[in-house]
Amino acid sequence: MIRLSPQVRTTIQRTTLPILVLLSAAIVVLGKADQLLFDSVRTAVTDTVSPVLDALSRPLTAVGNMIGRVEMMASTYQENARLQAENERLLQWQQTALNLAADNQQLRGLLKAIPESAVSYVTARVIANSGGAYVRMILINAGSDDHVGRGQAAITGEGLVGRLTEVGNRAARVLLITDLNSRIPVTIEASHVNAVLAGDNSERPRLLYLPSADSVKVGDRVVTSGEGGVFPPGLPIGVVGAIDAAGPRVEPYVELSQVGYVLVVDYGLSRFLPQPPQAMARTNRRTKSPGEDDAITR
Amino acid sequence: MALKVFSIPALPRVNNGAARMLPVATTLLAALISVLPVRIPGYAALTPVFTLMAAYHWTIYRPDLLPPLALFGIGLAEDLLAGSPIGVNALLLLLTRTAVLGYRRYFINRTFPFVWTGFTLLTIGALLAMWALHCLLSLAFLDFRNTVIRAALTIAIFPLASFLLGRAQRAVMGAG
Repeated sequence: MIRLSPQVRTTIQRTTLPILVLLSAAIVVLGKADQLLFDSVRTAVTDTVSPVLDALSRPLTAVGNMIGRVEMMASTYQENARLQAENERLLQWQQTALNLAADNQQLRGLLKAIPESAVSYVTARVIANSGGAYVRMILINAGSDDHVGRGQAAITGEGLVGRLTEVGNRAARVLLITDLNSRIPVTIEASHVNAVLAGDNSERPRLLYLPSADSVKVGDRVVTSGEGGVFPPGLPIGVVGAIDAAGPRVEPYVELSQVGYVLVVDYGLSRFLPQPPQAMARTNRRTKSPGEDDAITR
Repeated sequence: MALKVFSIPALPRVNNGAARMLPVATTLLAALISVLPVRIPGYAALTPVFTLMAAYHWTIYRPDLLPPLALFGIGLAEDLLAGSPIGVNALLLLLTRTAVLGYRRYFINRTFPFVWTGFTLLTIGALLAMWALHCLLSLAFLDFRNTVIRAALTIAIFPLASFLLGRAQRAVMGAG
């Protein structure tokens, strides 16, 4: 080790703090100017820390599950009655669905329609969230090792949770539909009107670009439109909850703050679609490792 | 509390490895805790700023053991893990150190309410600055309510954090 004179050491100690403050400020500006600049660092750090987060979040998931179980126990009787009624109704729907599926298949045969590509699911646990007022993201414990890829949809049984924006080997980041940067092409099911679901960090995202204010009403179902090709059409998102000064807001089906597990669904769409500019830049940047993206889109 | 033992300028020398690591380790733990998925409705947006508590505590009582470089690294790690704009937390922690070091001599040998008042002022300033910075970065006027609640939660939880950090400090460093 180099021995420094006391004066030099004092100077270094005095200047470290201001230098690091300036460096942080520079990083903030650079990170804003080129959003991809720190992406690989981000993925690497997340990947490295994910086993720790995985372990730390386990007790929380267990507690969450336990609370859920106790709540369920308390309402078993009413829940049972409700489910029986629902089951009767669903059995009728099942008959309808079977008839429609048969019809559909026959008609597709007549039209020589291309069969929809197979869907594959990966279940993943939520191991971290964004912890702050300014981003809405979650981290899940599945990555490219589990054949999970960027752009895929994260859903639960109730509906859409978000989109995978960053995929490491062991962990992936999901941009929730409520995040400020989330824009999803949607359809209002009742009126077949297209719109864009835009998050604003609040719990209820807004509907933008509606042709007219009266094309939606409270209670309308909102589903993905499939435009832009990131999601298949028809994924349930939520219902129109209220129409305020900023326009209609959507009440998501999924209680996003309570999600413990998500399904990552590969609809096999990403490879047919024009890559968004961000993804394109990323692919160019990584031309040195061609195998990487293959592994992700598989 | 263990808060009365250290006086400016000489900090008691700590040779024990675990004791030297304590400030950095607890601040890093605070960063990890702040990204854990607690399933309470609305919690994610209102997560208290745990790293701010640790940075404040250690900058007052052991600034020598939580150097700027550690704050920088922990701040960056928190940004990277949370997915928030990179550099913001690093900047926040370093500015916290700058601010607290300037007033440190007023906080040493004072009662806890005094230290808590200092933290309250710091939190209000820090979260206000953070809100302004995020508005600037996203070029939008962001909802202010969450920031207010978050500041209130952070201030409310500080006594507990301070108690735990003080306990750990006494246990590991053997002072007080």
